Amino acid sequence: MLIRLRFFTKCSGIAALILFACIGIVPTNASAFTAEEIATMRAYEKVAPSVVNITTRLCEPGYFFCPVPTMKGAGSGVVLRGDGLIITNYHVVYGARDIQVTIPDGRRLKARVISSDPDYDLTVIKVNAGKKPLKAIRLGDSDALKIGQRVLAVGNPFGLGETLTAGVVSMTGRTVKDKGKVLRDLIQTDAAINPGNSGGALVDLSGDLVGICTAILSPTGASVRVGFATPVNRVKAVAPGLMAPRPRNTGLIFVILLTLLVLGSIFVRRRTDAGSDDALQLSREGEKEQCATRQS
Amino acid sequence: MRYATILSLALAVWCVAWACPAFALTEEEINNIELYQRLAPGVVNITSTVTERDLFMKAVPAEGEGSGAIIDPRGYILTNKHVIGSGKIEVTMADGHRYRARLMGSDPGSDLAVVKIDAPEERLTVIPMGDSAHLRVGQKVLSIGEPFGLGKSLTVGVISSVGRTMRAANGFLVENVIQTDASINPGNSGGPLIDSSGKMIGITTAIFSPTGASVGIGFAIPVNLARKVSAQLIQKGYYTYSYLGATLMSLFPDVAQALKLPVRNGALVIEIAPGGPAERAGLKSGNRKERIGNDVVISGGDVIVSVNGVRVDGADAVLREIHRLHPGDRVRLGIVRSDGISKIVSVTLGERPRDTKTEQP
Repeated sequence: MLIRLRFFTKCSGIAALILFACIGIVPTNASAFTAEEIATMRAYEKVAPSVVNITTRLCEPGYFFCPVPTMKGAGSGVVLRGDGLIITNYHVVYGARDIQVTIPDGRRLKARVISSDPDYDLTVIKVNAGKKPLKAIRLGDSDALKIGQRVLAVGNPFGLGETLTAGVVSMTGRTVKDKGKVLRDLIQTDAAINPGNSGGALVDLSGDLVGICTAILSPTGASVRVGFATPVNRVKAVAPGLMAPRPRNTGLIFVILLTLLVLGSIFVRRRTDAGSDDALQLSREGEKEQCATRQS
Repeated sequence: MRYATILSLALAVWCVAWACPAFALTEEEINNIELYQRLAPGVVNITSTVTERDLFMKAVPAEGEGSGAIIDPRGYILTNKHVIGSGKIEVTMADGHRYRARLMGSDPGSDLAVVKIDAPEERLTVIPMGDSAHLRVGQKVLSIGEPFGLGKSLTVGVISSVGRTMRAANGFLVENVIQTDASINPGNSGGPLIDSSGKMIGITTAIFSPTGASVGIGFAIPVNLARKVSAQLIQKGYYTYSYLGATLMSLFPDVAQALKLPVRNGALVIEIAPGGPAERAGLKSGNRKERIGNDVVISGGDVIVSVNGVRVDGADAVLREIHRLHPGDRVRLGIVRSDGISKIVSVTLGERPRDTKTEQP
């Protein structure tokens, strides 16, 4: 009994010493990266291949009112699907004559507009990725964002090249007015967002897309740490049907199955004569609007 | 025995009570506080007289201000060249002591300068130099300096990108520049950029801003360059660069394809300095402008595809290989002519002219 007690007291003494040592060590353990740094670096490495740079040439009426290609704009975009489907801001490609996308491996590809939602300042563009597919970003849930949560912005500020900036979620559900236009339900962040970051990714620490950097509030035109992003849940709504990963035709059976499925669905649709899909209509309207702005 | 138990329990309780305030701070915060307390005494304020021209073009002395980092217990302080004016230099230590400083040397190509103060060694906190070769985007950086002359300030951010190329005031290119979103403002210039283990990884030098103040885009000269430059500045007062005498442009696969070149990557020679090592070795520069996509490219020049047998995929890679060598070294360049013929050319590197306005490398 006595021996046991003695052993116990010895143990507790040692335990206390170890505890003491641990507490002593924690603040001075500075030789390696901190947990937050590791998370940030990992998230960036995950996201970086999915963020592209977009340059555009705009057309402005010159003398004699004929369109002259003049200004060069720069922005960012996020890869939604490996075959080259990219989401960006409507204002990045608005009125653009020529859209060129630089992907992280250095390739420069021509892009065309698929569908737009000017109300939420979103546009889906498409490049031909060719044999090497792009890396699609993983989509997160913007409704689950908490104020104070760390977010990272990846984009192409001032056309400098791919840049990471970090901050926290300052507020969610913000509404801002810009030249009579109202943008609703935005995420506000203090990560430095500058012109050129538009259309770029706002991700959480696990590297999931939570927003598309869209606007800033600034008296100077550059970041004063009040930036806004369109929530990713809106992105999911504006690009319906495009989000699902397309099955890869790896085998003949797979291809046959797919063809059967498509034929079957067409057959069923014709038979039931179902009403038009809301979401499909939205994208068609977007296309029409795009055509209209191009003509004007 | 009972006493021992009570004693150890009391010790444990005291431990937890003592540690409680520490637990209220996150690991990240503790790291920041510890680094600032340890290294802030190694950052000094530098003021110097800079001559400016007034409206009537008369020379008016003005005060230049910036920061510096103590890099040697003998009193050597590393700072930016643009912080040092032509007049007398004064260094204010963290404890308020002021010293007249002597300029050891400056390098316009990297915008670095070293000054020396005669302070007793016990007053000097040296900021250790780290390694900037293996930095990762997303890792934390701390910037200590005196923005707007406000007094010592700590700002924290992440590395936004590595490997940017920046043009120094004299037109020379500085490579592997570190970009950060830590707030860097006028007055931070010359101060150290520190990683989470307390090593200096860069010297904050420039910002990109349309407003003149931080918009979250700051740049720092990598410490690996600063180490080389400061050693030569202390030793002989200037820094010698190896020199090829050619202006290069990175070749991307689509540009190479449009120019019908048989290579996909490399460095296209677009201009050659007259009388330079490249000209003497018979390298050819471009002679016609071609529009590819949204860019204009000067084509017709040689494409450098390897340096001393090491494959290079762009202009930056060539620069990196050249800068590793010393003036007088012979270098074998693998080139592809515009007509598709591959060759190996041997070039003897020169010393980069110290006053020219020409560019890389």
